[in-house]
Amino acid sequence: MIDIWFEDLPEGRTLDLGERLVTREEIVAFATEFDPQPHHLDDEAAAKSILGGLSASGWHTCAMMMRMLVDGLAIRAASMGSPGIEEVRWMRPVRPGDVLRMKGEVKAARVSKSRPEMGIVDIEWTLHNQREQVAWMKATGLYGVRHPAAGGSA
Amino acid sequence: MWWEDIELGVTTQLGAYTFTEAEMVRFSRAYDPQPFHIDPEAAKASFYGGIIASGWHVASVWMKLMIASSQKRAAEAGERRTGGVSPGFLNLRWIKPTRPGMTLHYDSTTHEKIALKSRPDLGLVRSLNMAVDDNGETVMSFTGQGFWPRRPKE
Repeated sequence: MIDIWFEDLPEGRTLDLGERLVTREEIVAFATEFDPQPHHLDDEAAAKSILGGLSASGWHTCAMMMRMLVDGLAIRAASMGSPGIEEVRWMRPVRPGDVLRMKGEVKAARVSKSRPEMGIVDIEWTLHNQREQVAWMKATGLYGVRHPAAGGSA
Repeated sequence: MWWEDIELGVTTQLGAYTFTEAEMVRFSRAYDPQPFHIDPEAAKASFYGGIIASGWHVASVWMKLMIASSQKRAAEAGERRTGGVSPGFLNLRWIKPTRPGMTLHYDSTTHEKIALKSRPDLGLVRSLNMAVDDNGETVMSFTGQGFWPRRPKE
């Protein structure tokens, strides 16, 4: 059920995507496939590393943020994908057992000049665990513009 | 190999990777379950006209090939590679969709070195990273960042 369109994401709109539990199994499985470095795979080697213990690959953190973004926003929205990410900051390690909470604020929203049925929305996202902020992301998303026949706001 | 040893403007070919539909759908079911990533029928009717890989999958494969390449380099040089840490990345662009059966060729070019006042034992290296298709067209690009140990002072 699509109930979020470009018009529902104006500048200043805040979003709370809820929580996600990070498991050891998931950290190791993702790292085994995409980022097999000792600090993502093995407790003993990780304890001796600069990160001081097992932590998720930064790309895994991005993938988890994407899943939260899909479940909390994109699946309900007329999402048309993304042309890119301005910046991601991996600020603190993401550990097994962390409960991540993702929140965002719309920084800019404009209708595409070349494709007027599409809106371009820049959102700054923060990711916190139970202790501190662990990541920051500024991402651009593409959202369908509500057809005039569909009427007013949801 | 120390931060001081890294030369700018050097391109490393990281290798090629062929994306199968089954693998694309498996990644996206876990981390990016939007219809145009997981449902062939819905994808056909979408903006993209068929299943495309999650951009995070395309980026995560860059990491996979980067680790394999740097492990190989370290082994050939007789070094023990302990793994690297990154503060994040900049300007990630998903320029063309990745469709089932496409082969992407990945590379990484060193382009900036920054000494860190806060951590005199580490330096930052920025690299321009690319994935191109068989026709040489850019599919994805981003600026990566990695910390490297500095050569200890005598």
